[in-house]
Amino acid sequence: MVRRTLDIDLNRVEGDLSFEVDLEGATIVDARCIGTLYRGFEQLMIGRAPKDGLVITPRVCGICGTAHLYSAVLALEDAGGFRVPAHATLIRNLCLMAENVQSDIRQTFLFFAPDLLHPRYADHPLAADIDRAFKPLAGKVVRSALDASRKILGIVALFGGQWPHSSYMVPGGVTRPANSRDLVECEGMVDAAIEWFEDVVIGGDMHAWLALDSAAGCLNWLETPDGGASALGLMSRMARSVGLHTIGGGVNAFISGGVHHAPSDGESSGRSTFVPGGLYDGASGQLEAFDHARITEEVRYAWFRPYDGGRHPYDGETVPDYRPGDDRYTWAKAPRYDGRVVETGPFAELLVGGDAMLRDLLAEEGGSCWLRQFARLRRCAHTLHWMKHHLAQLADCHTQPHVIVPDESALQSGQGYGMVQAARGTLGHWIQLDEGKISRYQMVTPTAWNASPKDTAGRHGHWEQSVIGLTLADPDDPLELGHIVRSHDPCLVCTVHFAGSGKRVRYGI
Amino acid sequence: MKNMLWLQTGACSGDTMALLCAENPTIEQLVKAGTIEVLWHPSLSSGDADLGALIAAIEAGEQRLDLLCIEGSIITGPQGTGMFDSYRKRPKMDIVRALAAHAGHVVAMGTCAAFGGIPASGSNPTDSIGLQFDRDKQGGLLAWDWRAKSGTPVINVAGCPAHPETIVRTLAMLARDLPMELDGLNRPAVFFSSMVHQGCTRNEYHEYDVEETELGGRGCMYFNLGCKGPSTQAVCNTTLWNGRSSKTRAGVPCFGCTAPNFPAEGDLFRTEKIADVPIKMPLGVARGQYMAYKNLAKAAAPVRVRGRKMEP
Repeated sequence: MVRRTLDIDLNRVEGDLSFEVDLEGATIVDARCIGTLYRGFEQLMIGRAPKDGLVITPRVCGICGTAHLYSAVLALEDAGGFRVPAHATLIRNLCLMAENVQSDIRQTFLFFAPDLLHPRYADHPLAADIDRAFKPLAGKVVRSALDASRKILGIVALFGGQWPHSSYMVPGGVTRPANSRDLVECEGMVDAAIEWFEDVVIGGDMHAWLALDSAAGCLNWLETPDGGASALGLMSRMARSVGLHTIGGGVNAFISGGVHHAPSDGESSGRSTFVPGGLYDGASGQLEAFDHARITEEVRYAWFRPYDGGRHPYDGETVPDYRPGDDRYTWAKAPRYDGRVVETGPFAELLVGGDAMLRDLLAEEGGSCWLRQFARLRRCAHTLHWMKHHLAQLADCHTQPHVIVPDESALQSGQGYGMVQAARGTLGHWIQLDEGKISRYQMVTPTAWNASPKDTAGRHGHWEQSVIGLTLADPDDPLELGHIVRSHDPCLVCTVHFAGSGKRVRYGI
Repeated sequence: MKNMLWLQTGACSGDTMALLCAENPTIEQLVKAGTIEVLWHPSLSSGDADLGALIAAIEAGEQRLDLLCIEGSIITGPQGTGMFDSYRKRPKMDIVRALAAHAGHVVAMGTCAAFGGIPASGSNPTDSIGLQFDRDKQGGLLAWDWRAKSGTPVINVAGCPAHPETIVRTLAMLARDLPMELDGLNRPAVFFSSMVHQGCTRNEYHEYDVEETELGGRGCMYFNLGCKGPSTQAVCNTTLWNGRSSKTRAGVPCFGCTAPNFPAEGDLFRTEKIADVPIKMPLGVARGQYMAYKNLAKAAAPVRVRGRKMEP
């Protein structure tokens, strides 16, 4: 059969993405996820003062700068053996949660939903409802989602001064405490977000919805008048009616580094999280504990100076080596966990964390484009729940110190790492210091996990696997690819090494 | 009504996220009112928008282009090819240059597009520059005497990211043909004449010389912690971020992100000093007089200030 190549780049992702697939007939037989931007962040950190990462690394990504800031400060605290008070940990977590809620909302309604307005669905019975709700910048749900996403960021602005891009997490704590005035204000912002989530997104009580613990519970909710008419209900009914619950599964192995760092009562390097991390194997249902030492990055198919096999970030390097014409194709490295290709993100986070409804849906229907997108808003509900939890804890400790000023002479040499669950999944920073300067800085971002190219063994990355085998209804208009790729919430700037643009369909040989 | 094409070059999407955070007007209000028509935006366009066709039509003179917004550094590496940042195997820097020739106005959204920004700092591993500046000097992508069709140079909406309200109000002013005076760095003067220090809620601490040596306190951060608020022009403390606050109010030093040399090469959390006084004075202030004033001010500090009794 004649093989042809579709070369597609997609908008409505953070940063841009180019995707190249080989077709036999209308079926995808190979895929290459292509990063076309290199900005050199890890390189330009070398030689800078240790704390400068708190200013530079949030600027890796405009949408998850809080997550980068959090990872950067944890890495410094690990390197220096610094203590952090509970007050500070709770504020950091609250800000990260606000950022993640913002991202989950915007990704769903600004980036994923517009594909449901595609001309192919013009005669669909739900088309008018979808248009009214999700028309870009104009739909009723879209406008309310923009408003809700702005308001929840008020929490970051309260403690950090601004969003995006602030530097309020500092070694030993945060730059300002929460006073009782702030607690009341935060409570108001979280309550408003929950009210919006209940009224607009799910059409009912959030905790009752979180308590649904089976696939049947989810599907029954979709059949209720309020659930079915809600934004998530409408999107789910539409997505399922066009088969998005049957495509786009991927590797079926999921990682989370653990969610919401638990206050360590001033002990250094608190690694424990309220929701533990791990690797969840979708096939066996087995869960194993997370260990950062099992992370490696490979560069066989990326435009970096070649090295053999995989390297842990402490031994990593980022030296561009662009040579067009060979078989390398991207500016993204290929992270592997214990040698395995894995998926990270909200779906992975909740599967690892034990969300019974999602585990049951995965077991019943398998992973899919729809389930991944559904999980993103499910994570939003979990997060809002944890924000309330944190505000209650903060009320008990906000009169304690918000920072324990560290002895920064400890940052003359040494190494440390920090990991958090960013909007798009597991994010890690690894720092090494020499003579009081940064001598090595490596980041492994969520999109690097998901959008990784092939590794030395020739195994495709997760996104690539999620489209290989897919049969397109119309190869000249590969709409299904848009649905699947956007369900991953690609953040291309976040690969540190990455982007592309627009939408094109080009035929190769 | 003006149309707008927003292109990301070596960007982090921070200015796009700032655009979405603007509260008055909001971007959706500008679109709904017909003030701005979005020809293309990487995050906001609908599924059938086609950037490649749009670029071709503009280059062929078949499509009018009123506002060209560029977000991100102009990446010229490796070896001058621009291939660290490409679109359809064409360097983005070439696309920007071509589109700029047809645009009514060219707007640099953020410090990266204006001056080069973070990617252009330090060893500048990607050979990044700004649209009409290379940091604080000539040498950007476009010639120093380059002018858009309207007769204006590249309009530099500086900031990392640019302030949300500065972004959206600059767009609204251009779309409504309101007059726009530019300052010496080609920034819209109405947003870049006030100092970040102006309106900072730590001002009274600064006034009486109550200066912090560690992060996390209530006092002023100018003397020891690297705060550049007194020498940086932006609306951060006169038009609050996210309708609520600013970095300096929250205890984070101003890093001077609207200036062409952002980020500074030295430790960003430390103030360079001669004796006990910062090398970089508040904008336009004479050193000798400032030192005399500070000595008097310290002696005059009331207990509520010396004791840091006031919430910033």
